[in-house]
Amino acid sequence: MDKQTLLAVLQVLKKYNLKDTELLLKKEAHVTEDEVKAEPSASGVTDVLAAYKSEGDPRRYESFYSSLKNFIEKSLDIHKCELSMVLYPVFVHMYLELVYNHHEQQAIQFFYKFSADQEWYYQEDLVQLATVTKAEHMAGNQLLDNFKGSKFTIRMSRDSYNHLKRHLLEQKLNILLTIIQDHLFIDVFDGVPRTKQQIDATAGGMCGEARREANKTKVLYGLLKEPEINITVEDEDEGQETDDKPKKKKAKKDSQLNKKQKHDPNAPQLTRIPLPEMTDQMKLEKARAFKEGLRRINLSAETLPSICFYTLLNSYHGVTSVDFCEDSSLMAAGFADSQIRVWTMTPNKLRAIKTSDDLNIIDKEADDVYERLMDDRTSVDCRLLCGHSGAVYATSFTPDRTQMVSCSEDGTIRLWSLLTWSNLVCYKGHNFPVWDVHFSPLGHYFVSCGHDRTARVWSTDHFQPLRIFSGHVADVDTVQFHPNCNYIATGSSDRTVCLWDLLNGNCVRVMTGHKAPIYSLIFSPCGRYLASAGADKNVLIWDLANGDLISQLKGHKDTIFSLCFSRGGALLASGGLDNIVRLWNFSKLLEDHENESTVFVFFFYRNESSAYEIMSYPTKSTPILSLHFTRRNLLLATGPFKGNS
Amino acid sequence: MTSQPKTVPRDIQVMSAILKDVGVNDHEPRVLNQMMEFAYRYVTDVLDDARVYSSHSKKKAIDEDDVRLAVQYKLEYGFTTPPPKDLLLDVARSKNSVALPLIKPYIGPKLPPDRYCLCAPNYKLRSLKKPKYPQSGIVQVTQRHIQGSKTAGGQMSGQPLTLVSSRPVSQPAMTIRQNVVPVSHPQNPVPIIRLTSGNQSQTSVASSAIDAALKRKRDEDDDYDN
Repeated sequence: MDKQTLLAVLQVLKKYNLKDTELLLKKEAHVTEDEVKAEPSASGVTDVLAAYKSEGDPRRYESFYSSLKNFIEKSLDIHKCELSMVLYPVFVHMYLELVYNHHEQQAIQFFYKFSADQEWYYQEDLVQLATVTKAEHMAGNQLLDNFKGSKFTIRMSRDSYNHLKRHLLEQKLNILLTIIQDHLFIDVFDGVPRTKQQIDATAGGMCGEARREANKTKVLYGLLKEPEINITVEDEDEGQETDDKPKKKKAKKDSQLNKKQKHDPNAPQLTRIPLPEMTDQMKLEKARAFKEGLRRINLSAETLPSICFYTLLNSYHGVTSVDFCEDSSLMAAGFADSQIRVWTMTPNKLRAIKTSDDLNIIDKEADDVYERLMDDRTSVDCRLLCGHSGAVYATSFTPDRTQMVSCSEDGTIRLWSLLTWSNLVCYKGHNFPVWDVHFSPLGHYFVSCGHDRTARVWSTDHFQPLRIFSGHVADVDTVQFHPNCNYIATGSSDRTVCLWDLLNGNCVRVMTGHKAPIYSLIFSPCGRYLASAGADKNVLIWDLANGDLISQLKGHKDTIFSLCFSRGGALLASGGLDNIVRLWNFSKLLEDHENESTVFVFFFYRNESSAYEIMSYPTKSTPILSLHFTRRNLLLATGPFKGNS
Repeated sequence: MTSQPKTVPRDIQVMSAILKDVGVNDHEPRVLNQMMEFAYRYVTDVLDDARVYSSHSKKKAIDEDDVRLAVQYKLEYGFTTPPPKDLLLDVARSKNSVALPLIKPYIGPKLPPDRYCLCAPNYKLRSLKKPKYPQSGIVQVTQRHIQGSKTAGGQMSGQPLTLVSSRPVSQPAMTIRQNVVPVSHPQNPVPIIRLTSGNQSQTSVASSAIDAALKRKRDEDDDYDN
């Protein structure tokens, strides 16, 4: 009788307190006390780990795995690439089974023999796996709980799947069969098996690829209908903003404004989620933005932007984040010593609002009341905000520049008033470092993401989050609002980019393809495309209509930390640790994508990166922390001076 | 390189091997010192706890179970990890099922209730008082007495210190007048002012004397608090 089964039976008897039967069985089967003790008690371990209880002979695991490898090698070329996707999850689960069943030596040998064969982008996960050699380690290891709790998803064509299944059944490789059935989810599709290139494009996620159902929901990626602000533009650009009366329309409407009046079937309704109303200040702001937009240089491959680079000196180990406000008049930098500094980029200095006594005196009906609110005696170029108790990882301004939110390693998000230059609210919800925070384009809502693997949406008037987006299996490193405020994109260390719906918190798109953590996300101004980049040095462009990968832009030599689309969406700028700002021709990329006559299966992508790179601008030794296009398409870049350190 | 005069201690060698094993290829040299410090502190903490547990169960020496318990305790309370995925999913589901709250229009900066904001003042002002004050109060009362006490308050005559103000309404008014008093000379104009106000003023002055005494006491308390 199999020892394992015997011991399992004994354990069941022990559990139900059937002492006599237990003794009798022990006597008859000649089981010694030591062997019984060797079985781990099921009480201390989770159900997930109990699934690893297997009856296989540990010494044969290596041969099983090798036989699987050989079978895949010998199969037809068209099947080979798809089938080889199975090797990594099977390897991991076999290793974990060995460890769980206390076969430490065999586990280490098994690992040593086959780990180097795995793809390079899984090597980091494997290093983590290698630290687990005893069953006791498994219980505490959170990463293991996470990514083994969820099934590893692979997409395979029906032919390859049948081929594999047939082989396993014929050879009676029960262990492999059980592993594949329990821990893998094979999403079978009818069609031609994929090529190596196609598979590589979407491989890399910690839990495999995305299931087809995950990307089926309709995404309303269009922009919101612009409110009716009739902006009159005269020759000297002294535009006046009038009320919402169409009769007062005057000449010189920009073509942009006309386009927005058409109904976009892909745009969400204005009432889909509650949005803040347009205050007078915001209307003035919009008018100003429109006027500046008229002066904007339309960029293209021929008309390149000028780049203004702000270097932060003496702060290579200090500055952790830099952010500009929407009209580029304020810059905020977060530091590792928990300070935030705000600088003004225009000749207007930073003033504080007057005290309440002084405010009572001013004339509220005056035209320049907003100027009179501010106390000119307090104008400075740079302000210091202290309040966090850990490094500040991100800051974000409201569109009207009256408030700013910042997030830090201490797990809190703080709201600062830029009128009184003080801390207004401290939002506690993440109890672990918060990596990124962003205000929505219309203000009022802000989204944050952190080490606790969630992204949360807050509004300034609620002390608790309104939405929690949970689904990632590793830290969420970056988060971004869609221009229409209805969707949130998150990029995570589990190498997936997810799109979430603000209305109900569902994940509407899962996009895999990155091979390393993602550090930067940006939506295109039209709202349909999403660019993401991270430690794998590629910029990936996704089409949100169906979640497909459109293109990979290769060229950077090191981690990319920031992306920015130009106003108008013609150019994409990227920069990172390799000290180079690169400009990519996004309009050409879209043209080529639309001109594709061959309508292919869902994994089609283009990879002619050098065709799209327009220019690269190296700095000598300053990594790029943030990129920002002003309203007139001047590119602002910032970074800490690194020198020779 | 030829043999160095100083050899690296074995512990440091072990620690750098551990770091390499985990995948840390590039680190500053000070990291090793930090890790050693951490390791030493962790082990001593665990063994201290284990000794406590073993002495609690009246054992002579620390054994494996004690150490196991100590390690488990440290893991639960010392090294917290983010909540497990199923819990997060549950919390998220319940949070996301609530509709987004509507936004009230035209209310200045939208902030949570004041309890959750950091806008409240975190200081209070202490009112200025001179220490000589109670004497002047008593002097006044005796002067009152000399000039003939009215029977309005009843208890006033002769025992000013036992007076309890029967009209709490007048008290706030008193404090203001309190401040006026020490500024001027205790002997001179004040009694005259008091007389003209009539009944109320008498009771109020007397009770203000007591209040002054009490207030000074409170002030002293405040001093000690700070």
